[in-house]
Amino acid sequence: MKKVGLLVLTLVLAIGIVSLGETITLNFMQVLTSPQRTAWWEQVIRDFEALNPNIKINLISPPYEQADNKLTTMLMGKQPLDIIEVRDYTIKQLVDNGWLTNLTPYIATWSASKTLIPLAWQAAKTVNNTPYMIPQSFFVKALFVRTDILAKYGINPNDLKTWQDVLDACQKLYNPSKNQYGWDNRGRNSPFIFPDTLATSFVENANPDNLYILPNGQTIFTSPQYKAGWEMYIKLFKTSPQDSINWGFDSQVNSFVSGVTPILMQDPDTVGLLNTMLDKDQYTVVPLPVGPTGKAYPNYGFNGLGIVSYSQHKEAAWKFIAYVSSPEVNAWFNKNYGPLPISSVTYENDPYFSTGVYSAWAYMMKHPEKYIFSNYPFNSPKWPGWPSIQQADMQSLLLGNISLDAVLAKWNNYWSSK
Amino acid sequence: MKKLKIFLRSLLKFMALGGYLIFALIPLYWVLITSFKGPKELYTFPITFWPKSLDIENYKFLFSFANFGIYFRNSLLVSLGASFGALIVSVLSGYGLSRIGSKKLSNGLLLAMYLTQMIPGFLLMLPLFLMLSKFGMINNLFVLGIIYIDMVIAFGTIMSKGFFDRIPVSLEEAALIDGCGTLEVLYRIVLPVSLPAIMAIFSFFFVNIWNELFLAVMFLSSNDKMTIPAALNSFISKAGISWGVMSAGLVVALLPTIIVFAFAQKYIIAGLTEGAVKE
Amino acid sequence: MSRNLKLFIMVLPTIILLVIFTYIPIGQEIQIAFENYNLYNLSNIYFNGFDNFIDIFTSVDFNFAQIVLNTVIWVVVSLVFQFTLGFGLALLLKKPFKGRGIYSGLVFYPWAVSGFAIGLVWAWIFNGQFGLINGILMRLGIINQGIGFLSDPHFALASVIVVNIWYGIPFFAIMLLAALQSVPEELYEAAKIDGAGRFRRLVNVTIPYIRPTIASTILLRTMWILNFPDIIYAMTNGGPANSTNTLANYMIIKMYSFYNYGQAAAIGFIIMSILMIYAIIYLSIFSRLERGII
Repeated sequence: MKKVGLLVLTLVLAIGIVSLGETITLNFMQVLTSPQRTAWWEQVIRDFEALNPNIKINLISPPYEQADNKLTTMLMGKQPLDIIEVRDYTIKQLVDNGWLTNLTPYIATWSASKTLIPLAWQAAKTVNNTPYMIPQSFFVKALFVRTDILAKYGINPNDLKTWQDVLDACQKLYNPSKNQYGWDNRGRNSPFIFPDTLATSFVENANPDNLYILPNGQTIFTSPQYKAGWEMYIKLFKTSPQDSINWGFDSQVNSFVSGVTPILMQDPDTVGLLNTMLDKDQYTVVPLPVGPTGKAYPNYGFNGLGIVSYSQHKEAAWKFIAYVSSPEVNAWFNKNYGPLPISSVTYENDPYFSTGVYSAWAYMMKHPEKYIFSNYPFNSPKWPGWPSIQQADMQSLLLGNISLDAVLAKWNNYWSSK
Repeated sequence: MKKLKIFLRSLLKFMALGGYLIFALIPLYWVLITSFKGPKELYTFPITFWPKSLDIENYKFLFSFANFGIYFRNSLLVSLGASFGALIVSVLSGYGLSRIGSKKLSNGLLLAMYLTQMIPGFLLMLPLFLMLSKFGMINNLFVLGIIYIDMVIAFGTIMSKGFFDRIPVSLEEAALIDGCGTLEVLYRIVLPVSLPAIMAIFSFFFVNIWNELFLAVMFLSSNDKMTIPAALNSFISKAGISWGVMSAGLVVALLPTIIVFAFAQKYIIAGLTEGAVKE
Repeated sequence: MSRNLKLFIMVLPTIILLVIFTYIPIGQEIQIAFENYNLYNLSNIYFNGFDNFIDIFTSVDFNFAQIVLNTVIWVVVSLVFQFTLGFGLALLLKKPFKGRGIYSGLVFYPWAVSGFAIGLVWAWIFNGQFGLINGILMRLGIINQGIGFLSDPHFALASVIVVNIWYGIPFFAIMLLAALQSVPEELYEAAKIDGAGRFRRLVNVTIPYIRPTIASTILLRTMWILNFPDIIYAMTNGGPANSTNTLANYMIIKMYSFYNYGQAAAIGFIIMSILMIYAIIYLSIFSRLERGII
């Protein structure tokens, strides 16, 4: 009896040791690659591996411009991937192709899930009202201003409460002979967000679930209030350099830093970038301006992590995601990277995200009656080509090649037809 | 009067040559000075035509934080390996097409080579990726090398066939009668005469493979397998292009191609004489 | 083994590689051109006949006629200037002079850089705010406000063409220089004796002798210019307002922005057909020239 017992014990121990020694390697692909961000991910991974010695994480960081495409082709080719970075623009595509795992069972046993802010749940359940990813960062537009330049013209940033105030300020700043302009226009790479943020704030009854379709079923492009908003945006554009019709994110930032266009609407990840190029007393952030309705309908950009449907190591993958999404790690990452974190714990306890320039966003989160977080129709089959189409049309419009009425009719046609 | 004419002609020639040189060197000058500028100086207005102080921060960043040494090694391995491989394949097929008895077969195959030049390269990437992923050949520098060989051999065969067409068969006939094998004739008699042409083709291969970006990004995942163009491209993020580091990277990336090119261009001029004239 | 068989075996590696890595994929792509193949929903792939082509021809968002026009301008203007300037450079370099080796190494280096990278660099040089060109023009007092070279539709296409010309001059210069050096001196002697001046010698002796080189380089170069969108993709990606969009760049937009591989393949098919027709017409004209019919 004793001998059998000893044998069984030895066997159990042996199996135990063997499985303890077995290392799982996870493949994790990020898509918002930049040298700094890669360094932060590597730090997070190092900390995680120290706590979980039998899990190794292999970070794949394709160049930002080709990243989404590379992700898609790798998934198509069933290349070994376990954790992937999911963006608001790509979640529908990934779910429709069956590449993401439904995370409901994992969330059920995750204690920190209770601390996620409502916006996080909204984002996680974007597709089919099912959580296919855990968001990590939020991007909400606010108004960045160059305090030093505005001071020269006697403009107080706290007075910029409505879009009319912004237009007045930009027109006051506009002085091309001195190379001083006002508005920092966005010309390419999803420029629609800029005029739409302004124009939707003019519409009394915009639909937060789908900004392009009004509650009465018509598209927003038929609304005369929306058109009035666009007319104001065109006036804003006139205070911007002509060249801005071609500006992407980097040109906007460069122009802001050089002082040529001291008023910029942008996301919180711009903060980290600006801090490397400007002194803290040269700029500040104020809440997003509201329209004549007294409201604004900002959209919320987000990115997060998901588990690949054909992954062989889903438990281990979830361990990593839970770790990264914990309030502490999430706060650390977003402090470096810039955007808004996902845990209410962070907002309540960490002064970083409620003071200084971040007080602008804290204000917006605290006033849901003024700031109604809304969605573009990402899930519509008409969405994939829309940013490119809108960009070409918007450029034509601002160049004066097409009238506002014509372009609104065109967009109305696009979004109402099948 | 004649002396004046000659002087004027020389002056015009000098100005024309100078014009070409300035036009060619503008980007190189700009990239060079930008690589030595510090981050605050990149976006000043008005712009500076010479860095305020020579800052080698960008180069330091390149080789420490950005691991450029590894990418350099990878690029060198793949470029040299694939270029040599492609050279052997192109020389063999060029010679084969040149000497084969049937004109119809030769022209038919040559046409097939020309056809590949009509294909927009981007279109091939997805089917190629899907095909190779079935065999687990992704993220493999050797496989990437094979793809690169395929990328250049059509043009290489066309060029080398042209060269070999110029070399009279009579040169080989004596050796053939003596009982030399086909490969021996190629190796002993034809190649030594066409060395300049070989240099030309090789440097063409090297430059094109060294600079190839999109296939490298698509087929390589691990950080330690990246090539230089892929690494340079990672300096483009949502925040745009980090011009300081990118310029330094471009300068470093340019060096091998300039070296290979400068060395080979003497041969290129002489070499192309043989191949390009007759078709 | 017969010599002919041995020679054929030598060609075999090339044939095998091309079949596996080029011909089979292109066959698949041609099939995709007639399918609804969209990366947004891969479970929904089906044969859709000519739908992709019809969508492309009738698209209101990307005017096909304008894209074709842009492509024609892009190819023709680039080619004409690349060729003439390249030929000019070759003529200048024909006679040896002191430092010719170093000079040619420097002036030919554009051939050694990557198209995509150089597009980015030139985009920076043409930048409307911080670019070198605007900087020089402003220093010289010619303008007092930056010109939007890449943001103004009037300038954009011209700007990318200038860069393409810069990129292509070395190719022609090298090929034509080699050909020029093969012209036998006796032909020039004979012409001089006949009293022909420099220009006549160029037209009557040089050009006819190197005509085959001219023909083949132009054919190849046309195909490459049409097929390589690197410069436009890096500088403007077809903008602003479709003014620099060419067929090859349009194909990339369909691939990377719309994820619509079916339509991208259709555009590729259109490009290949155009080049096929062009090559046929070109070669038949050329062979008639050779036989003296034209």
